[in-house]
Amino acid sequence: MDAYLAAIVSVTLIHVLLALGLTLQYGFTGLINFGMVGFFAIGAYTSALLALHGVPVVLSVTAAAVVAGVSAWPIGLASLRLRDDYFAIVTLGFAEIVRLALTSEKWLTNGVQGLSRIPPIYEGTGTAAAFIIVAILLAVTAAAIFLIHRVAYSPFGRIIAAIRDNEEAVQAIGKDPARFKIQVLIVGSALAGVAGALSAHYVTYIVPEQFMALTTFYVWVAVIMGGVGRVSGAVVGTAILMFFLEGSRFLGDFLPWISSVHMASIRIGVVGLALVLFTIYRPQGLMGDFTKR
Amino acid sequence: MNDAEHHNATTGGRSKLDAPSVLEVAHVDKYFGGFCALRDVSLNVPAGGLVGLIGPNGAGKSTLFSIITGFIAPSQGTVSLRGRPVDTLSPFERARTGMVRTFQVPREFGHLSVRENLMAAVPDQAGERLFDLFFRPQRVRIQEQEGAALVEETIDFLKLKRIADQPAAKLSGGQKKLLELGRVMMTRPSVILLDEPFSGVNPVLIAEIIDRIIELNERGISFLVIEHDLEALTRLVARLTVIDYGTIIAEGAPQAVLADARVRAAYLGGPA
Amino acid sequence: MTYLALVQNGIAQGLIIGLAALSMTLVFAIARFPNAAAGDMLTFGGYAGLFAFNATGSLLATGLFAIIATALLSLAMYYAVFRRLAGRSSVSLLVASIGIGFMIRAVLGVSFGHGQLVFEIELTRPYIIGGIRVSPLDLKLALSALATLAAAFGILYMSSIGRQMRAVADNSDLARVSGIRSERVMAALWLLVGALTAVAGVMLGMATIVAPEVGWEILLPAFAAAIFGGIGSPIGAVAAGLILGVTQELSTPFVGFTYKIAVSFVVLCTVLVMRPRGLFGKAEAVR
Repeated sequence: MDAYLAAIVSVTLIHVLLALGLTLQYGFTGLINFGMVGFFAIGAYTSALLALHGVPVVLSVTAAAVVAGVSAWPIGLASLRLRDDYFAIVTLGFAEIVRLALTSEKWLTNGVQGLSRIPPIYEGTGTAAAFIIVAILLAVTAAAIFLIHRVAYSPFGRIIAAIRDNEEAVQAIGKDPARFKIQVLIVGSALAGVAGALSAHYVTYIVPEQFMALTTFYVWVAVIMGGVGRVSGAVVGTAILMFFLEGSRFLGDFLPWISSVHMASIRIGVVGLALVLFTIYRPQGLMGDFTKR
Repeated sequence: MNDAEHHNATTGGRSKLDAPSVLEVAHVDKYFGGFCALRDVSLNVPAGGLVGLIGPNGAGKSTLFSIITGFIAPSQGTVSLRGRPVDTLSPFERARTGMVRTFQVPREFGHLSVRENLMAAVPDQAGERLFDLFFRPQRVRIQEQEGAALVEETIDFLKLKRIADQPAAKLSGGQKKLLELGRVMMTRPSVILLDEPFSGVNPVLIAEIIDRIIELNERGISFLVIEHDLEALTRLVARLTVIDYGTIIAEGAPQAVLADARVRAAYLGGPA
Repeated sequence: MTYLALVQNGIAQGLIIGLAALSMTLVFAIARFPNAAAGDMLTFGGYAGLFAFNATGSLLATGLFAIIATALLSLAMYYAVFRRLAGRSSVSLLVASIGIGFMIRAVLGVSFGHGQLVFEIELTRPYIIGGIRVSPLDLKLALSALATLAAAFGILYMSSIGRQMRAVADNSDLARVSGIRSERVMAALWLLVGALTAVAGVMLGMATIVAPEVGWEILLPAFAAAIFGGIGSPIGAVAAGLILGVTQELSTPFVGFTYKIAVSFVVLCTVLVMRPRGLFGKAEAVR
C-alpha cells in the first residue's frame, strides 16, 4: 500500500510541474500552448541519454531543463506573429513533430523501442527508497512553486498579466511584449523539461508512445479544473486529475469486461468530455477569471 | 475667463507655436487596399504646444495616430520626433523615445488595480528582468519603492486615491480615461497623443482633465489631441487642425478655423 | 518507387488532404474557428464506410452510408456543442473541437478496438493508361473524390444555401441583417463538412488502414493546406491539398517515410511567417 501511495504521489508531483509551466504560460500570460508534451519529451530524452552515458542525474536533469528551454525559443518567436488559435495549432504540430523525430531518429533515441535501464532518481529498492524519491520530487516541486510564485507576483508578473489583458497597451507604455512572452515560454518549457527528465528517471524507461498529445490535454484539463491564473490552481487541479485517472484504473478492476486497452480509450473520452463541458459551462475556467492574483 | 483661456491668452500655448517641432508628420499617405484613408497629411506639434485634431467620423484621425505611434505603417511619408525620423521604430520603441498615446476606447489592464496599472508603466524596472528578480532582489525592492512613490504622486495629481486599489475593469468610462492619462504620465513622455480624452466623460470630470492637461503642458509636455467635443477642445488648445476624408482642410487658431467655410461644410453640411 | 508512382500516390493523398482542407476552410470562413475534430470525423467516416462495405460489398453503398453517418454526426456536433458556443472566441471553439475529437476517438476505440482494420478489396490488374499503371481502385477513388468536390463546389456556388454560406463567410453581420438565417447556414455547413470528411475518410481507409488514430495524422496537413490555400478559398484549399500531397510523397526519398507530415508542418510555418493569407486568401488578420 505504501509503495502504491508513493507511486501516486510521485506521478502527481511530476504532473504538477507540467501544470505549473502551463499556468505560467497560459494562466498568467494568456499564451495558448498545446505543445507541452513536446518539451516534456525533449527533457525526458535529454536527461535519459546523458545519464545513460554516465552523467550524474542532477546534471542531466539540469541539462534537460536547458535544452527544453532553448528549444522553446523558436516557438516563442512564432507566438509573436500569430494570433491565438494559429499559435495553438503550431504548438500542437511542434509536439507531433518531436514525437515523430523520437520515433524516427533511431541512432539517437532507439526509435520505438525506446531507452531502458535509465538511472533512477535514487538507487535503492523497497519502501524506504520510494519515500526518498517522493521527498526529492517534493523538494523539486516546492522549488518550482516558489519560482513561479516569485515570477507571477513581481513587476515581471505585472507585465505579463498586462499582456494577457491588452497587449497593444503594453506596447503603448514602452514595454516590449515579445521579450516577456519569449521568456515565459522558455521558463515554462524548461519546467516541462524537468518534469520529463524526472519522469524518465522515475519510470526508468521511455518510449515515444509515452509522449502523445493526450498528455498535453491532461495538463490543460488539470489547470482548468484547478482554476486558471493561480499557482494553487495548478496543484489542486493536478491532484483532482490524478485522483480521477487512478480511480479509473480501479474502475477497470471492478468492471472485468473493460480491458485496459478499453480503459485507455475511456480516459481519452473523459478528457474530451471534460474539455467540452468546461468550455461550455465554466468558461472563466478557460478564458480566465483571473481575478485573484 | 477660465484657467484654460487665461493660459491660452498669455504665454502658455500661443507663443510656443513658433517653437521648433517636437513631433513632425510629413506627407503621410495610407491606403488600405484600394481605399485611401490618408492623403498627403502633414502636421507638426511645436515643443510645449497644445494642438487639436478634429474632423468628422471616419476622417482618418485615429489612423493617423496609429501611424504616428507605430501601430500601423504608412504607405508613404515620415514621422519624426525632435527632428529624428522614427519610422523604423516599433510601437514600444517609439513610446520609449517619449511619444506616447492613449486610446479612443480605453485599454486599461482590467485585472490589475489602478495602482498596478500605473506601476506597470514605470519605465526600466529591474523587477521586470528575470535575472534581476532572482539575483538582485535588493535592487528590485528599491526600484519598486521609488516607482511606488511616483505612482502615489500621480494618483494624487489625478485625484484617483479613492479608487486606487480597485480593479481597472470596474472603473467608469471617465475614470478609465484618467487612468490612461496617468499611465502615459508615468512613462516620462515629451509628447502625449490623446485620442478623444473627453468622450463619454461627464462635464465635471472634463474640466478636471483639462486642468490636468494644462498643468502637464506647463511642465513642458506637448500635446496632440483628437476630440469631437469642440467646446472642450477650444478651451484647451492653441491650434486646431481639421481633417476630412483623409486630408487636412484647415489649420490655425481655433476661432478662425471653426469659422472657416470648408470646416463648417465638413461638419455641418453647409455654411452657417 | 519511381517518381511517377510517387506523384500518383501524392495525388491520391492530395485529394484526401484537399477534401479535409476544404472542410477546414469552410468552417474557418463561416464558423470562424479551426476545427480540430476534422481528423477524428475522417476516422469515423472510415469506420462507417468499412461497416457498410463489410455488409454490402458495394462501393457506392459504402460511400453513401459513410456520408450520411458522418454528416449526421457532424450535425449532432453542431447542435450539442458548437451552437452553444456561438459568439465565443475561436480558441474556445478550438478547445471544444479537440474535446469532441477525443470523444469520437474514444467511442471508436471502445467499439472497435485499437487494431488496424482493412477494406478487403480484391486486387485487380492495373490499367495501363498512356504508359502509366493505374489501379482501378485508385481510379475509382480519385473519380469519387472529384465527384464529391464537384458536388461541393456546385452547392457552394450554384445553390441558394451555398450563396448564403458564402455571404456569412464574407460578412456575418451583414448577412444576418439581410435576413439570412444563420442556423440554417450552419446546419448546411456542418452537413457538408461531414460529407467531405466522410469521403476523405473512406478514401484513406481504402488506401491504407482503418484505425482510431489515422484521422489525427491528417489534421496537420489539412490545416496546413487550408492556410496555404488561403482561409476562405475553397479552390485554394483543394489546390493546396494536392500540392502538399504530392510534395509530401516526393519528399519521402529524401526525408524518409515518418517525416512526411513534417513537410506539412514546415509549409504551415513558412506560410504563416511569409505570406499569411496564403495563395488565394484575402488579407486575413493573422496577428
